[in-house]
Amino acid sequence: MNISKYFFIISIFFVGFIIACDDGDENPSETASFDRREMLTNWADNIIVPAFINYRNYLQNLVESKDAFILRPNESTYDSLTAAWLQAYKTWQHVSMFDIGKAESIGLRNFTNIYPTDNALINENISSQVYNLELPSNFDAQGFPAIDYLLFGIGGSKEQIIEQLSSDDHSQYLSDLINRLYTLTDTVTEDWLNSYSEEFINNDGSSATASVDKVVNDFLFYYEKYLRAGKVGIPAGVFSGNKISSAVEAPYSGIHSKLLFLEGLEAVQNFFIGNHFEKGTRGISLKDYLDFVRPQNNDADIAMNIVDQWGSAISKTQGISDNLKEQVETDNVKMLELYDELQIAVVLMKVDMMQALNIQVDYVDADGD
Amino acid sequence: MKPLILLAFGLVFLASCDDEMPRSEEIAIENPTTYEFLRNNESTVSFSGQTARINMGTELIGAMMDFDKTTESLLEMYANQTASGADANPYADASLNESTKSVKSKVAASSDFFSTNSAESARIKSDIGSWIVAQVEEVFPNKDVLAESGRAGQIADGSSVRYVSAKGLEYNQAVNKSLIGALMVDQILNNYLSISVLDAGDNMANNDADIVAEGKSYTSMEHKWDEAYGYLFGLARDESNPLATLGEDSFLNKYLSRVNDDSDFENIASDIFEAFKLGRAAIVAKDYQVRDQQAEIIRDRLAQVIAVRAIYYLQSGKNAIASDDLGGAFHDLSEGFGFVYSLRFLRQANSSNPYFTREDVDGFVNMLTEGNGFWDIDAATLDSMSDIIADKFDFTVAQAAG
Repeated sequence: MNISKYFFIISIFFVGFIIACDDGDENPSETASFDRREMLTNWADNIIVPAFINYRNYLQNLVESKDAFILRPNESTYDSLTAAWLQAYKTWQHVSMFDIGKAESIGLRNFTNIYPTDNALINENISSQVYNLELPSNFDAQGFPAIDYLLFGIGGSKEQIIEQLSSDDHSQYLSDLINRLYTLTDTVTEDWLNSYSEEFINNDGSSATASVDKVVNDFLFYYEKYLRAGKVGIPAGVFSGNKISSAVEAPYSGIHSKLLFLEGLEAVQNFFIGNHFEKGTRGISLKDYLDFVRPQNNDADIAMNIVDQWGSAISKTQGISDNLKEQVETDNVKMLELYDELQIAVVLMKVDMMQALNIQVDYVDADGD
Repeated sequence: MKPLILLAFGLVFLASCDDEMPRSEEIAIENPTTYEFLRNNESTVSFSGQTARINMGTELIGAMMDFDKTTESLLEMYANQTASGADANPYADASLNESTKSVKSKVAASSDFFSTNSAESARIKSDIGSWIVAQVEEVFPNKDVLAESGRAGQIADGSSVRYVSAKGLEYNQAVNKSLIGALMVDQILNNYLSISVLDAGDNMANNDADIVAEGKSYTSMEHKWDEAYGYLFGLARDESNPLATLGEDSFLNKYLSRVNDDSDFENIASDIFEAFKLGRAAIVAKDYQVRDQQAEIIRDRLAQVIAVRAIYYLQSGKNAIASDDLGGAFHDLSEGFGFVYSLRFLRQANSSNPYFTREDVDGFVNMLTEGNGFWDIDAATLDSMSDIIADKFDFTVAQAAG
């Protein structure tokens, strides 16, 4: 009698204790015990900084090719210039998502790759020779898309384009655009090299302003808005109901739009998996983080689902033209199918991944007003 | 406390519904499923004047971002007449030019709040006019300059461009969102749903006797109620079923839609529509008690829409400042400024009192604009304003911000 009474009291006590323990033992402390600092170090040292240095090198090439072209405008210097532009544009795809630190505060992405470019505004800037490229109203008159227009879209044969570009006002504008890309990127790269890496790695907590939370949000935002919507969804008319073939990336050169998309998707995967920039090695990243919390998530293999989903997206691109503008115009269904595969991964990341990692999505769909 | 009052109100309401002792001429209320009312097979619903004013407001707001406009042309769009009072044709839509109606004449012009308060009415009309003028005089000349503290110009909000005053305020947003209170909410709550307007003159006797307005299919009282409805639903694709396409203007309708999208307020649009519909049916049935009860429901819910949106933008602005997104913050705070300005026109249910006095709103505006305005404002100020607003209602700051 007595024993069972005590047992009862003790078991009540125990149940209470277990419940209390459970309460204090939810996701936050579990996820916090993952080595965020090591992950941040891997991101900064092996992915972000090398990608920025590489991008800056290609911009340096672009500046030099441009100077050579302006000095001696001919078919050979023009071809070198367009090749350097494409190389730099490809490497840009590997840093675009890192909209943090100086890149965020100076608005690097807005000044680098807002498209469709406003060719009427570009023409106006060139003819008036009065323009301030620091103004937000000139976002869409500069960067890679504006250079795409100047190098491929101002009309006529290659000879005629070279002829037009060699005029003083055109070459001045082209030069200003390319120099500005370099200067902005140099500012961001130097900041990472001088002090920001340390600040970034030291901010290793798990609040809305911590580095992990911010970069994961940047990554997701890039994927959703710039890769999925910008490169595929908007031109395919997913949001407006009307296809807008001219809204693809680099429409004037045309044949590079699929390549630029694939570079972007590769950069996304590399970051997620933790692949060191242009090396065969890897360090810890989101995939490992998701694997770490897997036991608390009914053993759901979210990381594998995401990686598999990207595989499905890539297989969709196989039947798609190198020229996405052409693809939209001739057989948009393939673009829509690609979009759908990309969209499934948005849900996997924005819902499953963010919940599993206990990270708040810090952006909302724009109000539209 | 509040739920109890609501419960009591509900009981009274139920009791009155249950009361089956008809007055001599009372007819049962026939509440239709859509906002459709007929007399001799002809629709009795009309609110073309409200639709016209919403359209005039839309053109005015758009024109404030057209750098070729002058002070004169924008003020003509506000008043639909020239500075000297002559006829003007300022709109792109020709039918608006033919109209004799205007936005300005109905700003802060309700019977209950402003008929004996012409000084404040004039002040509000002139506040809005002054922001229109300031857009041309302060912002237009600096359209190609980067804004900084104390200097008007442009600022990036993501990849969008915003044009702000020296204090960071977008005057077009201030005008747009202030009109929601000063025009739409004031006209609905304090004019057309007011007993002083619904029952003015012979309205009740005429409605009781089914005497229609001269040359019209509706009684004067029916029409007043519909004019209230028109300020909220005047641009609806299907005027009898406006909830199917909520969010069709840039004014009150749009923000009812936004608040309704927040799960904390998910029934608010349907509450308002149902109250409009039942109230109108009650007028047909000559049941003025039910009519007035519906007016109170609309007052209660529309006050929530404005207050929720004011807090929402103050909080969004605070969060954007915390993440160093000043352009985004200024845009939120500019919208917030207009909703805060609109608080003045909200009216407590079952009362003729406003929720916020002139002094309250002037205090808020001062908190937002003192010194260098949004460039200087801090989180504590925005939180304190949000708390003061939320304290008057049954929802929390967190619910409004969500």
